[in-house]
Amino acid sequence: MNLTKQLKFAWRSLARDLKAGELRVLALALLVAVASVTAVGFFTDRIGRAVERQAGDVLAADLIATSGFPLPEALFESIDNRPLDSAQHIRFPSVVVNPRDESQLVAVKAVTDGYPLRGTLKLADIKEPAVALPSGTSAPEAGNVWVDGQLLAALALSAGDTLELGASTFTVSKVILFEPDRGQNAFEFAPRVMINMQDLAAAELIGEGSRARYTLLMSGPTTELEAARDFINAEYSDQVRVQGVRDGSPQMKRALDRAQRFLGLASVVTVLLAGAAIALAVRHFAYRQADASAVMRTLGATRNEVIVWLSARLALIAIVASMAGIVIGWLAQLILAKLLAGWFGLTLPAPGVLSPIIGMMTAFIALAGFGLLPIIKAGRVNVMSVLQRDYSGLDSSSLVASALGLVATFLVVFLLSKDALLSAIVVLGVVAMLSVFGIFGRLMISAVRAMAGQRFRLSTAGLQRRAASSVVQLAAFAMGIMALLLISIVRVDLLAAWEQDLPADAPNVFVVNIQPDQVEGFAKQLESQGIESTGIYPMVRARLVAHNGKSIVNDEASEQQLRRARREYNLSFSNTLPLNNEIVAGEWWAEDGSAPPLLSIEQEWAEERGYAIGDTLTFKAAGVETTATVANWREVDWESFQVNFFAVSSPAMLEGLPSTYVTSFHIEENFASATTGWVRQFPGIATLDIGAIITRVKSLMDRASLAVEYVFLFTLLAGFCVLLAAVQSSQGERIRESALLRALGASHKQLREAVVLEFAILGAIAGLLAAVFATGIAWSLSQYVFELPFRLNVWLWVIGIFGGALGIAVAGYLATRRVLFTPPIVALRHAN
Amino acid sequence: MTSQPQAIENSARDDNAGVVLSGQSIAKRVSGPDGNLTILHALDIDVQSGETVAIVGPSGSGKSTVLGILAGLDTPTEGRVELLGEPLSELDEDSRARLRAGKVGFVFQSFQLLPGLSALENVMLPLEITGDKDASVKASAMLEKVGLSERSGHLPLQLSGGEQQRVALARAFVTQPSVLFADEPTGNLDSETGDKVVELMFSLREQQGTSVVLVTHDDTLASRCDRTLRMGNGRLEAV
Repeated sequence: MNLTKQLKFAWRSLARDLKAGELRVLALALLVAVASVTAVGFFTDRIGRAVERQAGDVLAADLIATSGFPLPEALFESIDNRPLDSAQHIRFPSVVVNPRDESQLVAVKAVTDGYPLRGTLKLADIKEPAVALPSGTSAPEAGNVWVDGQLLAALALSAGDTLELGASTFTVSKVILFEPDRGQNAFEFAPRVMINMQDLAAAELIGEGSRARYTLLMSGPTTELEAARDFINAEYSDQVRVQGVRDGSPQMKRALDRAQRFLGLASVVTVLLAGAAIALAVRHFAYRQADASAVMRTLGATRNEVIVWLSARLALIAIVASMAGIVIGWLAQLILAKLLAGWFGLTLPAPGVLSPIIGMMTAFIALAGFGLLPIIKAGRVNVMSVLQRDYSGLDSSSLVASALGLVATFLVVFLLSKDALLSAIVVLGVVAMLSVFGIFGRLMISAVRAMAGQRFRLSTAGLQRRAASSVVQLAAFAMGIMALLLISIVRVDLLAAWEQDLPADAPNVFVVNIQPDQVEGFAKQLESQGIESTGIYPMVRARLVAHNGKSIVNDEASEQQLRRARREYNLSFSNTLPLNNEIVAGEWWAEDGSAPPLLSIEQEWAEERGYAIGDTLTFKAAGVETTATVANWREVDWESFQVNFFAVSSPAMLEGLPSTYVTSFHIEENFASATTGWVRQFPGIATLDIGAIITRVKSLMDRASLAVEYVFLFTLLAGFCVLLAAVQSSQGERIRESALLRALGASHKQLREAVVLEFAILGAIAGLLAAVFATGIAWSLSQYVFELPFRLNVWLWVIGIFGGALGIAVAGYLATRRVLFTPPIVALRHAN
Repeated sequence: MTSQPQAIENSARDDNAGVVLSGQSIAKRVSGPDGNLTILHALDIDVQSGETVAIVGPSGSGKSTVLGILAGLDTPTEGRVELLGEPLSELDEDSRARLRAGKVGFVFQSFQLLPGLSALENVMLPLEITGDKDASVKASAMLEKVGLSERSGHLPLQLSGGEQQRVALARAFVTQPSVLFADEPTGNLDSETGDKVVELMFSLREQQGTSVVLVTHDDTLASRCDRTLRMGNGRLEAV
């Protein structure tokens, strides 16, 4: 037979297989694998992009390019030629004067039409400052200014008032209630004044050497953004700083990373489970085909022809199931996306084409990895078995089979995660888990057998008799139950821990620029209002001038180093370790004030810049140079929204230098009413409401959690598929056994009891093992992947053991019911 | 299943006078827990074209092993087997399979029908292996000959033992084989059904001029063959 004929023959055989139900479980396993990988892929891709886009609110764009100098014209031209939306703003400090000649230092932002590209600017009419207008994306009209609530209060502005700004006079038309990218410059604490970019020149506000920040905002397709980022970095890295969503707010970055890890975890677990189901089903298929291949060989088919015949059927079923899986996966994500689109308040980006391809590849890799060797063995079955009925050579639990399975696992995980190390860890984890399941499973089955009384003899004898397949089944059950436990309990725990990581009483107000002589009074003021601060910290603004005695500004310095040298840092000093900080290297200094000039540096900052313990750093503050040795590295919980510093020194380094103080705290009441009178009582202080940023991070968490919950539904489906495949894998043996037992006079009741008990015992053992591993995995996930506190959950064990016993007993009974109620003569004939 | 060797084609179809199967000094030893065990001792056998030969003997005497070796399903430890003029010992397993395709039929004690295939599809199987385009037509005609045309769509499980063996006979004869190997063809059937199956088998063999080598403990069945050989102590003796 030539190949075409062989394929046609395989196709006809497949139609018969499907009709006869031979390949139902395998087809289902493949379908679930492809559907779940596709749906998860589609879904995470779309949600991921939507989340990222929403996170873009923080920048008011997907990507921004910022410089202390006017951005080059060539840069604008290049960006205009790309399919990207763009807008600009320029920020600088200035002074405004109201009609009553009262002046105020302000942070001016001149914007072009289209700002913001992401997120919305919430405005209110000056006549009704408390009523938000429908959001829009246009700059103030020419001749108008928009001001924030702080300026409104400070200058007691009302409808019709004008403000002098530079050479121009503007009419105050609107009040800015919310500015999406305000959090970007949390320490730009002066009140906001927003004008149209067209008015900038006439106002003669910026001249050469002005302290202004020029920003180009961009949004559009990811690939284009990446290309734009690369272009700017390549051409203008010396003067322009590019910043994407992830480079921005550390809180948002952490939230995004975690959301992606959760979704990634969901898809990896799903594909592992689906892979296990495929492995079981294909092994079962190969074993079932041993008879047929021996007969085929007897009738004249060669081994290769039989192997082609068997594998072509598998390939064909994989194609058919993949197509169906892709359609189902696409429909599933469509429904989920529709459900979630409302939550995001925006249309989700269209699904990419990569997910169905990955879904299909997953099915083929799993099929080849787990199925190839059993199929080859089935094709090479001893042809004398047609006369002797001996299929002992078919046992595919060889080293080669295991190795192939592991390679397949690695490839599939790598396909999803694109992370070789993670894939290797997953493979090692699977090996360890299956080994433990195998060893302990076998021991436990023997123990149960030894302890069982007469009544359970039949069930435990069944377990013992089918020791090899019982252990395989047990491992599959344990894996399935473990996934279900991870989904149902660990997910909830982890998500709860994540939410708790940003407690309801996280600081939502920052107060900066408190003068040393105001600290005591301000602390008392807070106390009188019942406000508990996270501490009032000194802050010294300084520039870095030397590292290990070598000046930062030197001939060899890179542009990046020069930029760092120009930048002013906020340093603090303290005798004690700041709240929520943890020393990760070195030691904190003596708390009695006797410490020499020492520095404590934030770990990531130190690593990125190469500030080792023992290095010296020299800062210049208010014209005074001061040097200290790096004594330790600190881990800072940026998500806490508390006042944190990259560098904290011992008092000996900075005390005495001009400093201001900063604090943060949580207020329940309205920001404006809580802070009324503070500015008058403590002139110069600036208050900053960051409640909106917190709300945004929290809402991102909520949505990501919801997405994770939906995605885990597929994991659940894959878990059930494993259980189904495992139950079915022993069906042939059960048919033969129950036929024999029925023929020997066993009643329905006895057989039913035996089957239910056997599955219940398997389920309980599997549940116990699953609970052990689920706890271990939950611990390591919370420690190393999500960096969240771990909580031991007793329910994991209770549900694992009892739920496992009950669930597997019911599933096992339902799956084998047909066997039990088949008349013995039919069963015996089938057995033959 | 691919192109047939021309020599086989000629030797199988030339006339009814030649030897279609010959075994010389066949020995089979297997390793067991107590060392090597000799199952067959230097057997000699020749089967002429169109001849029917029965091999009888007690259970475990090695009858099925001889059948397997003669059909090329197994290889002897020593000795030489020629099937349809081809030396089996010089062929690898796949070449032996190709030699059997369409030329050799089998009937087994446990029928060995593929459970997922209907009666018709089971009969089509050997024709599909040889790539016969008229597989369906020929198989239907063959099922009619064995009186099962109305059961052609049934799965093996839906057929009685006798019907299953008749399907197996249709499958064995559908390619008009030169040699039929039968392993206890009535072993799983009651005597009445067994008789009918035997009758059918001999009638089909008669029509096609097929040589038959059958293994049985049934002396009545053996007596219908041209020759009976008895297996004992690993040796074959003429009865």
